[in-house]
Amino acid sequence: MSNDANKYTYLDAVGIGLDSEMDADPNVFLIGEDVGQFGGAFKVTKGFLDKFGPRRVVDTPIAETGLAGLAAGASLVGLRPVVEFQFADFISCAFDPIINVMSRHHWRTGDAMPVTMRAPFGARLRAGPTHSQSVEAFFAHVPGIKIVMPGRAEDVAGLLISCIRDNNPTLFLENKYLYRRLSAEGTPSLEPIPLGKANVVREGSDVTLITYSAGVSQGMEIADELAAEGVSVEVIDLRTVVPMDIETVIESVKKTSKAVVLHEDTVHLGMGAEIASQIQEKAFWYLDQPVTRIGALNTPIPTSPTLEDAVIPQPEQIADTLRKVARS
Amino acid sequence: MPTGKNSRSKKTAETSSTAQQPSAEALASLNIKDTSSNPPADLKERDATLIKELYEGVIKARAFEDRMHAMYRSGDLLGSYYSGNWHEAISVGMIAAMTPDDYLCPLHRDVGAHLWRGMPPEQIMGSFMGKSIAPTGGRDGTLHYGRLDLNTYNPPSHIPANFPVSIGMAFAAKYRGEDRISMAICGDGSTSRADFHESVNMAAAMGLPCVFLIQNNQYAYSTPLKMQSASSSFAIKAVAYGIPGTKCDGTDVVAVYDAVKEAVDHARAGKGPFIIEAVTMRMHGHAEHDPADYVPKEMFEEWSKKDPVELIEKRVLEAGVLSEDEVKEIREAARQWAIDARKIALQAEFPDPSDIEEGIYAD
Repeated sequence: MSNDANKYTYLDAVGIGLDSEMDADPNVFLIGEDVGQFGGAFKVTKGFLDKFGPRRVVDTPIAETGLAGLAAGASLVGLRPVVEFQFADFISCAFDPIINVMSRHHWRTGDAMPVTMRAPFGARLRAGPTHSQSVEAFFAHVPGIKIVMPGRAEDVAGLLISCIRDNNPTLFLENKYLYRRLSAEGTPSLEPIPLGKANVVREGSDVTLITYSAGVSQGMEIADELAAEGVSVEVIDLRTVVPMDIETVIESVKKTSKAVVLHEDTVHLGMGAEIASQIQEKAFWYLDQPVTRIGALNTPIPTSPTLEDAVIPQPEQIADTLRKVARS
Repeated sequence: MPTGKNSRSKKTAETSSTAQQPSAEALASLNIKDTSSNPPADLKERDATLIKELYEGVIKARAFEDRMHAMYRSGDLLGSYYSGNWHEAISVGMIAAMTPDDYLCPLHRDVGAHLWRGMPPEQIMGSFMGKSIAPTGGRDGTLHYGRLDLNTYNPPSHIPANFPVSIGMAFAAKYRGEDRISMAICGDGSTSRADFHESVNMAAAMGLPCVFLIQNNQYAYSTPLKMQSASSSFAIKAVAYGIPGTKCDGTDVVAVYDAVKEAVDHARAGKGPFIIEAVTMRMHGHAEHDPADYVPKEMFEEWSKKDPVELIEKRVLEAGVLSEDEVKEIREAARQWAIDARKIALQAEFPDPSDIEEGIYAD
């Protein structure tokens, strides 16, 4: 927990959500590398081994394919595994079971595989090409995987609890830059937040900013800044990337006539490509101009600060874009 | 920009040396057994009921597949068929050593095991025909017909993707303190893939009640054993994982039963995983469309003398477990049963596409 007893961080909320579901449901178990003895690479599961024991907090060899497939098999016969991938970049090591075992199992057999997979993802920590990736677009492409990406500390526990209770393979992507940088007062609500429902976190009238994860806090800060200049930004936090709540987005775009999509993933074939396409299909005649997408350059994510900052969307760039769109 | 230059010296391919088989004593000290040269069990000393069930099991498996081969040739099937000819002793011997509560994670030449568990033959046929009576309702086809209500996993085509799933089922059994094991099947080709290694290693390190059965049928599609692995056997790979391994004659249903029973009992007693290698020959191609021209004719000739169905029938008659008349009756009943199943499958409907988008998610 954070030092201030009256606050919790985004990171704390992950642990609180896990702890709550472990208490509530004896079929929930944690599995991953270094999750037990070490408490997780980011200490999300610190203390869990002592509290729940090695039967329910399982340290594995380095074998992402094996452990993801193990989770799939265990979930098929009634358990509810929560898999931790140490970094989202390593989820690709488990691509085979996620796509070929999990994603289509219910569709082709009628049997569910309720696996929750969580991982820290994201850039701005100078961690380089294999510790900074956004991975949602890979898995969003395949029908059957739900993808949840909280952008606010307040939402983390409620969204995680919903993922664990959901009967589908679900990817819960935690932005590691936000782990200790976002916090909220008191203790998090353990009320499950429905999946597939976006949240209008800030109402506005000049331009709709559609975003998720890191973009939410960035967008809110910039919206405050722009409000002082007389620009009113409506910020939509998608929360669930797949299945996406496009209705909330369309409703907003019909109001503002201007849409900007922001995510940390590459612009090229990132989620913004699908969102922009759906907006123009469903609200073309309401738009004053084409949908703008803000995202990373189409390169791997560099390590050095000067290089990473040139690739990942920066606050000034986001503010300038919103300003330009709102005023055009 | 990085400056790396990619310089590769040209090397001629080196042939691998033939692997030496360690002595039987050395292997025994490492918990590796080879029973494939042992004399076949004396059936007079075995439980007659079990032997009759094993015999009926292989007869039904063979009758079913004879019918499937004919259906392939007459164009009844959507595509090809993956024959389990010469694998009947493995699938039946293996399943007979398991209980109905044990989890089965099959691949594609295990039809004898599915039938033993009560899978209606017309459902399997329907799966190869895209009919709605297939367990997946036609959404999947061919070998993808495992039913969870029969404690059988329905794998994808990626081999052996069933291995990690199997250790997960074993994990669940252990988690809940159940008297259950999980059986994972693969072929010689599958042992080359990461799924094999990660699953066996993890199951061994975690002490999971999972048995791994390798059907060594000499070929993986067109790849012969010596190109698949330099290891002297597949059972010996168990040493690397710290678990026991037994190689047995895959054409002898009683030998397979005995080897698997030992492994299953071992896992059930909480002693961890076991590798079984059952040796046979893939007498047909990878599937029926494959003429298997890459197999030397002498090899087919040699193995044609080791038909697992003929072998057990001869022994059953010699030991007096069944009479000639009883054997005839069983064979004829199986033949008719397969013919009846074909009729049902042919008459079954194709699925309605109107709900194709439903079921992507479970509720």
